[in-house]
Amino acid sequence: MTDILARRALEQPATEQAIEDLHGVLDQLWIDAAFVPQLDQMAFTTAVIESASNVVQHGVPADGAELLLGVELTVATGRLRAVISEIGAAAHDPVPDIDGAAASAPLDEDSLLEDYDESGRGLSMIRALVTTVTVERQGDTNVWVLSRDSGQN
Amino acid sequence: MEFTTQDKGRYTEVSATGRLNMVAAPKLREVINGVVSAGGKRIVVNLAGTSFMDSSGLGALIGCLKLARQSGGDLRIAAVQPQVNMVLELTSMHRVLTPHATPEEAFLND
Repeated sequence: MTDILARRALEQPATEQAIEDLHGVLDQLWIDAAFVPQLDQMAFTTAVIESASNVVQHGVPADGAELLLGVELTVATGRLRAVISEIGAAAHDPVPDIDGAAASAPLDEDSLLEDYDESGRGLSMIRALVTTVTVERQGDTNVWVLSRDSGQN
Repeated sequence: MEFTTQDKGRYTEVSATGRLNMVAAPKLREVINGVVSAGGKRIVVNLAGTSFMDSSGLGALIGCLKLARQSGGDLRIAAVQPQVNMVLELTSMHRVLTPHATPEEAFLND
């Protein structure tokens, strides 16, 4: 069994405030786990905020439910893991395209500028920043699991 | 996130301090829209104090760049920190929003 070296969590209504608070929780995690290389901290933080923002921006509450954002962050030897829960949510429709091919960048600047797609870009960034990402339905919750191999010793 | 706008003569400098995320992105659009509406053509967004940017923040910067160009001007970025640079390179957007070392250098050769 893998030893957990640091752990932080958050659960609150899926609002903009939750994103600001999650930044604070991530800052605390990196104080506890300062041994994690800067690049891994940056990449993991970015992927976690992207996923949580996706919940706040696109999550749809199930009938009569309040949509909550739940985040569990753990640092283990060689592995960073985030479980991001969209609690009280309707099932994804459509399901986020987490398996899509990495967006290939157009060659010229004008196309780059015209083709920029914010929500698609967020998902492709998550894929690029972590080692594995899964999204599954558990009861009334959509669960994102992000995992990044880390260069720590 | 806090924004301050300063007329530097040759350009308008907008300093963004804090995290450029989904919360701050609409505010950035508002600030740049104000500069463009007031006739500002050359805009430099100083990111020295921007510790974090996500796809919403990047989307706002791209939108602001398009707005500036549509009004016959341009928008450039300066003093980019490591996480912001990572996001720019990951999305290839450093090719359209090329970081300049300092705000003063952004329009130096124009």
